[in-house]
Amino acid sequence: MPAITDSPRRRLTLFPNLSGAAVAGIAIAIFLMAFLILPVAQVLYVAFLDARTGAFTFQNFQDFFNTTLFRESFVNSFYVSAMSVVVATMIALPLAYITTRFNFAGTAAIQALGIIPLIMPPFVGAVAMSLLFGRNGSVNLLLNQYFGFRIPFMEGLNGVILVQSIHYFPFILINLSASLRNIDRSMEEAAQNLGSHGMRMFRRIVFPLAMPGYLAGAALVFIKVFDDLGTPLLLNVNNMLAPQAYLRITGVGINDPMGYVISFILVVFSVFSLWASFLFMRGKDYATVQKGGGGLSRRDLNTREKWLAWATILLILALVLSPHIGLLLLAFGTIWSFSPLPDGFTVQHFGTIFTQSTQYVWNTIIYAGTAALIDVVLGCAIAYIVIRTGLTGRKWLDYMATAALAVPGVVLGIGYLRMFHGIQLPFGLGQMSSFWGIIIIALAVRRLPYALRACMAALQQVSLSLEEAAESLGASRTSTIRRIVVPLMTGGILAGFVTSFATAAVELSATIMLVGRSSDAPLAYGIYLYMQSPAGRGPGAALGILAVVIVALGTYLSQRIIERERSRQSTISDQH
Amino acid sequence: MTQSKVGIRIEDLHLSFGDTKVLEGIQLVIEPGEFFAFLGPSGSGKSTLLRAIAGFGPTPRGRILIGDRDVATLPPWKRNVGMVFQSYALWPHMSVRRNVAFGLEERRMPASKIAPKVEAALETVGLLHLADRMPGQLSGGQQQRVALARTIAIEPQVLLLDEPLSNLDAALRVQMRRELLSLQRKLGLTTIFVTHDQEEANTTSDRMAVLDKGVIQQIGTPQQLYDYPANTFVAGFLGTANVLDGTHDGTHFITRGGQRLAVANPSANAKRIVLRPQNIRVSGSGEGVPGKISHREFLGSQIRYLIDTPDGQLIVDTLHATGHPPFDAGAEVKLTIDSQSAALLED
Amino acid sequence: MHKILKLSATALMMTSAAAFADTVTVVTSFSKDLTDPFKAAFEAANPDTTLEVVNRNTNAAVSYLQETRGSNTTDIMWASAPDAFEVLKEQGLLAKVDVQYEGIPDMIGGYPVHDADGTYFGFAASGYGIMYNTRYVEANELPIAEEWEDLKRAEYNGHVAMSSPSRSGTTHLTVETVLQGEGWDDGWATWKWISGNMNTVTERSFGVPDAVNSGATGFGIVIDFFGLSSKASGFPVELVYPSVTAIVPANIGIIENAPNQDGAKRFVEFVLSPEGQKVLLEPAIMRLPVNPDAYADAPEGFPNPFSEDFAPGAIEFDVEKSGMRYELVNSLFDVLVTYRLDDLRAAVSAVQRAEAAQAESGNEEAAALIAEARALIEAMPISEEQALDPSYTQAFTVSRADPATEVVGRQAEIEQEWDRFAVENYAKARQLAEQAIALN
Repeated sequence: MPAITDSPRRRLTLFPNLSGAAVAGIAIAIFLMAFLILPVAQVLYVAFLDARTGAFTFQNFQDFFNTTLFRESFVNSFYVSAMSVVVATMIALPLAYITTRFNFAGTAAIQALGIIPLIMPPFVGAVAMSLLFGRNGSVNLLLNQYFGFRIPFMEGLNGVILVQSIHYFPFILINLSASLRNIDRSMEEAAQNLGSHGMRMFRRIVFPLAMPGYLAGAALVFIKVFDDLGTPLLLNVNNMLAPQAYLRITGVGINDPMGYVISFILVVFSVFSLWASFLFMRGKDYATVQKGGGGLSRRDLNTREKWLAWATILLILALVLSPHIGLLLLAFGTIWSFSPLPDGFTVQHFGTIFTQSTQYVWNTIIYAGTAALIDVVLGCAIAYIVIRTGLTGRKWLDYMATAALAVPGVVLGIGYLRMFHGIQLPFGLGQMSSFWGIIIIALAVRRLPYALRACMAALQQVSLSLEEAAESLGASRTSTIRRIVVPLMTGGILAGFVTSFATAAVELSATIMLVGRSSDAPLAYGIYLYMQSPAGRGPGAALGILAVVIVALGTYLSQRIIERERSRQSTISDQH
Repeated sequence: MTQSKVGIRIEDLHLSFGDTKVLEGIQLVIEPGEFFAFLGPSGSGKSTLLRAIAGFGPTPRGRILIGDRDVATLPPWKRNVGMVFQSYALWPHMSVRRNVAFGLEERRMPASKIAPKVEAALETVGLLHLADRMPGQLSGGQQQRVALARTIAIEPQVLLLDEPLSNLDAALRVQMRRELLSLQRKLGLTTIFVTHDQEEANTTSDRMAVLDKGVIQQIGTPQQLYDYPANTFVAGFLGTANVLDGTHDGTHFITRGGQRLAVANPSANAKRIVLRPQNIRVSGSGEGVPGKISHREFLGSQIRYLIDTPDGQLIVDTLHATGHPPFDAGAEVKLTIDSQSAALLED
Repeated sequence: MHKILKLSATALMMTSAAAFADTVTVVTSFSKDLTDPFKAAFEAANPDTTLEVVNRNTNAAVSYLQETRGSNTTDIMWASAPDAFEVLKEQGLLAKVDVQYEGIPDMIGGYPVHDADGTYFGFAASGYGIMYNTRYVEANELPIAEEWEDLKRAEYNGHVAMSSPSRSGTTHLTVETVLQGEGWDDGWATWKWISGNMNTVTERSFGVPDAVNSGATGFGIVIDFFGLSSKASGFPVELVYPSVTAIVPANIGIIENAPNQDGAKRFVEFVLSPEGQKVLLEPAIMRLPVNPDAYADAPEGFPNPFSEDFAPGAIEFDVEKSGMRYELVNSLFDVLVTYRLDDLRAAVSAVQRAEAAQAESGNEEAAALIAEARALIEAMPISEEQALDPSYTQAFTVSRADPATEVVGRQAEIEQEWDRFAVENYAKARQLAEQAIALN
């Protein structure tokens, strides 16, 4: 830069040498500080205050560790999270294995159905599961009638583990399938060539190679279950950390600092788990080490194997879709009480929601759509800054955004109430904390990690040389990003959008704190409201079905676009 | 490494991917202890044939005998055939030692027996000192050697090498090729080597099979194939060749351009003649086929000319001797063709 | 799309501030089943006014009002539990407004209908009862439990559900009613024996009727309208009022600094008017009106708290006492029962089995062990005097309480002490009961 000619003027500008990336980075950092770090810190710092005097203290932490109940809760939370990972693995592994490893007619359908559990609010799932698997649920009523025994599926921690693993196993399925697909075929063939096959080969070669993907999914499941309070609360399990925190923070007039101490511990523990899983996976990104083409070799199944595979898959699908089956029965049933099936069937509940509750649907589409849009924009920007620029502290953008994973929704919700309730917005939008826009921001912040991962993965697959080629042909940085990078990332961006949208559309834990008016409420909140009255169970379920259908439709459409994009690009790269 | 040598016999092998026929009527006998190459351009089916011997890919029709055993329908893990993959396929989550031990462990060999065998295999490829590295920490050549050690550790009956040198740089390739050959000789392993590079095939193999479009075009020693190609494809694929159309009159081959070339092995059905560039001499004057230099390439030990003649453009190589100025483009020359040993083609 | 329209519409409306005044914002714990008919009726009667309903459970609603007091946007708090209103009133969050109404008596079932200071008003009465699923009862061949005492019996083991008083203002009242009706020690003993029969303590008050409706449990301790409206919605359930019950009003109050105080006043007056009272009788609501005249239109068999034969043992509820130990009772219940339900259940069922065995054998030694076990289960870590002592109660209240009061310890410390007490006693009781069984 010819500094001499224009130096006098340059010195006067506020940000003398900031590139576009730096400005974007700073803007994102400010956004994350304002809407994630500070609100959460607002909540957590109470953990360090003496309840009476307001003085700084570590006494509360000492109390936490001295309290038997909390120690037990910690152990229970840990146990439930770990077991959920185990059960979720048992569900996801066969699905991922069969669909990636064999030529199997139902692959696409199974992969799609496998995602559906994620797009149902977990508390709705818990209601439906109780009706089917509870002590007097359909299954146990029939078992008891014909065989004279019951299986305690839903008793205590079992119920939480079952509901959570069914809800969150798609995280493992998605990551594991992707990992399996990326394993070079020769890895497996080399093992077979040396005399290995079947389960032994899977255990020694295939699974270890898929480990990074599996671990990423498993860590997500672990943290999500560890932080989730809706499911244990609905199943009346309170000897766990997240419900304890919630019960203590939201009690009437109670000023128990323990709730905040627990929140602090939840956040710290989740961050720790994330960090541990990153640490473990570092240097294990095998996909980049391998050369050569082609994913896992797909084998044809013989007739017996085909039957076995179908039986396994149908059994698993029946289990993971049971919340939806239960919900369907509720939505179309009349009275369902102490009987295997509802007394009769009706479409009246759908009539009720279409006349009363269409605003929930619109709100959800607007909130989740906008939030997902914000997420992919931020996600791509952060991914680009982290991977392609040398900005100081760029890794911290990634860490900050990812840390949102570790923040329980309630904590974020309370943080927003604390931080924004006094702020009056212009244009008659009222108070910031009760303005519906804040819901969008909360959703965007909570789902940012999903979109960020997708964008990171997509950008990593765009070879740097493609960008350099564009730049050498005279394209500017901006126009390279716009014309080369973003189009090549389309698939990944869409995947990020879908994950953010689908999960944001059913989120409740933060929104329940932030909904200012019922006319601003999203679907999940509407379902929650309906489910609080005897006459509302049917319409609530109908609304739940509607939510699933909307999100599934959106997911399907985006999936189609991604597939098309993928096949278009792969036909080019396959030629050699 | 006291494996008795076995031969491979392939009988009427057919293989297709869905509706696409990839291999047709393969007939092949590989002698025990032979170093055999499959040579062909990409898509010729050479890798598919190799993979079929190892047991990968769709089940073929026909027989694959290793020794006396028909392995065509056996799964890969029951064939005892060692394969080195083009990408080496070292498992990144295992150390070099564990990679090499893998096959022995799969054979349920006691650990006390595995350790010396692993060391011996690594010793053979000269990498014992890197036994505890992870594959990601090795260079390409080292990875190649580990892959080789891993394969020979199981003492396979047959060693299959799928383009083993293609991921190495030029200098290393030559070195590795020699090492491979000396190793093969030492172990006396029946070996099949797949490559698209004729030089690699020529320098290493005892015999080779040239494949094109899923069919074996010709089998023989490198020299046989070079000197007496069975068809135009083999002639063109193995080295540079001038192939001229024409007819045969019992003693001479008459080219389209009217040249009468004396040939030693007359064949009534001959339609083409293969003239290697070094079998044509160029002189500035005297007898011979008239021609005009259109292009000249300096190759170091040789000079290659493209010369326009009545039979079209011919490639001619002459030895380069310091002090002898070459012909320039545009120069009128005479060509003398040594056609006595030239191969005649019937296709 | 309509959000965007709304955004521009609000921007336009900026010019006329009056437009805002026509919205009344209500924070309520009531479900749509109750609020929708009221909203419809009120808006029909006041065509220019819109009722904005924000649904939160009682506890969250109180927290919300506390958190947002600096710039309040809520006009009305509308919920069941009088205690929640006491908390709000104490913290100065309720406005004293001169609301007009007529035909509503001062007392209902021994409980004052309205706040004596005029900050909140009773608009519907609620009694507490036992709700049961008829199919469940039939399938399990259980007798109908009509009194709290019945639920203590061994035959109901595993068939009862209730919500935690700390989560549900209405349950808190039920717990407090029994404590006041039977006395501190006997009351707690009753709760522990009943809880020993529970299969769950739910975290939402609606969790109980939900469980009974779906047949997950047979009997539920609920506020009456849950039972009545469930029955009205077609579920095979019934509700009985035990003779010791409290009739308490569900309330409505105007928030201090309400943005639309005038509209708020109109809504409160509407709810208390004969028209508003009539809305309570809709099948999905089924709450008891506080205006005796409204019962003229009530369906056959609808309970009338103003009639002679209704709940003869209804006690006089001491609001002040209840308010003083509100948090303490909640915490005590959670520590002794909710969080230690498994231990308590194990102890209670062991005692029940021991008693059954002893009744047959008549073994004296076993009887002595059983008595000891019962005493251990019933034992309380603190007495009623302590429970009303500020040095105890203020350990559980907001920090802004009188800082001069010396408290006995931090909440976490006290709870840990109680927890240890409960775990040890329950384990010991179970051990004794098992010894007693072995003796027979």
